[in-house]
Amino acid sequence: MITLSGFTSMVIVAAIILGFISASAMFLIWWERKVSAHIQVRFGPMRVGWHGVLQPIADAMKLLCKEDIMPCGADKWVWWLAPFFVTVPAVMAFVALPFGKDLIVRDLNMGILYIIAITSMGIFGIFMAGWGSNNKYSLLGGMRSAAQIISYEIPLLLSIVTVLMFSGSLSMQKIVQAQAGGWFILKPSLFVAFMVYIISATAEVNRAPFDIPEAESELVAGFHTEYSGMKFAMFFIAEYTNLFTISAIAATLFLGGWRGPFFPPIVWFFIKTYGIIFCLMWVRWTFPRVRVDQLMGFAWKVLTPIAFINLIIAGWLLLR
Amino acid sequence: MSSYFKRLIFGPVNLTKGLIVTFRNLISPAITLQYPTQKQKMTKRFRGLVDLDPAKCIMCYQCSKICPTACIAITHEDLPENKKRLASFKYRIELCCFCGLCAQVCPTGAIFMNKIYEIATSSRKELDIDLLDPDKYAEWLNPTVK
Repeated sequence: MITLSGFTSMVIVAAIILGFISASAMFLIWWERKVSAHIQVRFGPMRVGWHGVLQPIADAMKLLCKEDIMPCGADKWVWWLAPFFVTVPAVMAFVALPFGKDLIVRDLNMGILYIIAITSMGIFGIFMAGWGSNNKYSLLGGMRSAAQIISYEIPLLLSIVTVLMFSGSLSMQKIVQAQAGGWFILKPSLFVAFMVYIISATAEVNRAPFDIPEAESELVAGFHTEYSGMKFAMFFIAEYTNLFTISAIAATLFLGGWRGPFFPPIVWFFIKTYGIIFCLMWVRWTFPRVRVDQLMGFAWKVLTPIAFINLIIAGWLLLR
Repeated sequence: MSSYFKRLIFGPVNLTKGLIVTFRNLISPAITLQYPTQKQKMTKRFRGLVDLDPAKCIMCYQCSKICPTACIAITHEDLPENKKRLASFKYRIELCCFCGLCAQVCPTGAIFMNKIYEIATSSRKELDIDLLDPDKYAEWLNPTVK
């Protein structure tokens, strides 16, 4: 293992993570467009590069060249800072993600708590974007997002608590090690926890069918209606980074993380993470968007009771 | 309360059915074409632009008379021994409504509708053509960037 000290290692690790996040977001944008296209029995991007692989680069160039427009009457500082408040927490979550046995920026002893806490900060950015834009659709989008994330945080955390009861640790690496005997998803109560987690996490990152904060047909993209150019791109990168993060957490907590035979740990980690991402894309392009009342009802009347009952059953199983 | 549990049980079943449909689509080949490099083959009875086989024309003027938008204008020259020769066969694509009546009424089948459907031009003049010109549709069949 290469040991670097202080500032140099910090800069190198930050550069690697930022590079990976940009490349991953670009790949995911291309992949999502291809998956959506093939689900709709068409080709998707085909012109720029082989099967349109360079399309995200072309899109990024376009966004870089676009004029940065600020709506009149916008709350300047709030409006300016919002994209950073969305992107920075999304990037910071990578600190505690275990890509391999020793491939983790910092194996915090409360890793999962740190990730959940830091990703929850993203809501500030979304609400700031909604407030700062001086646009009724943006404000509605921001408010909806706040309500949605607060509602879905509860079943999400309850499902994670179930995992923690079995692993006995908050450290991401120790959770992976606890799955040496078998993936957590294979245990019945943790399978239920996985389903609750994946549904809640989809809502947490505002993805369809829970994308009411940015519902195109009613809110004209919601909180990022007024953003253009690189600020819009930052929201986009944050969205796909969060998608990667929730899938990586799911892979780590339920699918054994980087554990697996034959291939190196990092390959297993990516296979599992991108497999979950594919499932989320598949769900996105299959189901229609739910209404606000349905969304809230589903969180409070279905997911939270299921997560609670599951938690009690898991506790009973562990204590008997 | 019973409806709550009913939905809880049957909801995922119905959602799975939807997922199966989209997965089947995902693995089936795309039905769209990469236009303009790939083009849809037009059906047998497709009505494209009006076309003419001058050898078959008997100058009866029925096509120009029946045309509801008067987009066909024919002139002919009288030759000795009671014979006629087509002088011009003007066709204004701009006015044509592609009804196909001219082709229907033609007693010899000289006038017919071809398969050309890409008729965008950069000037209106290009839409006034003489059907006697053998290269009349060359530009539309093999478009070149101007």
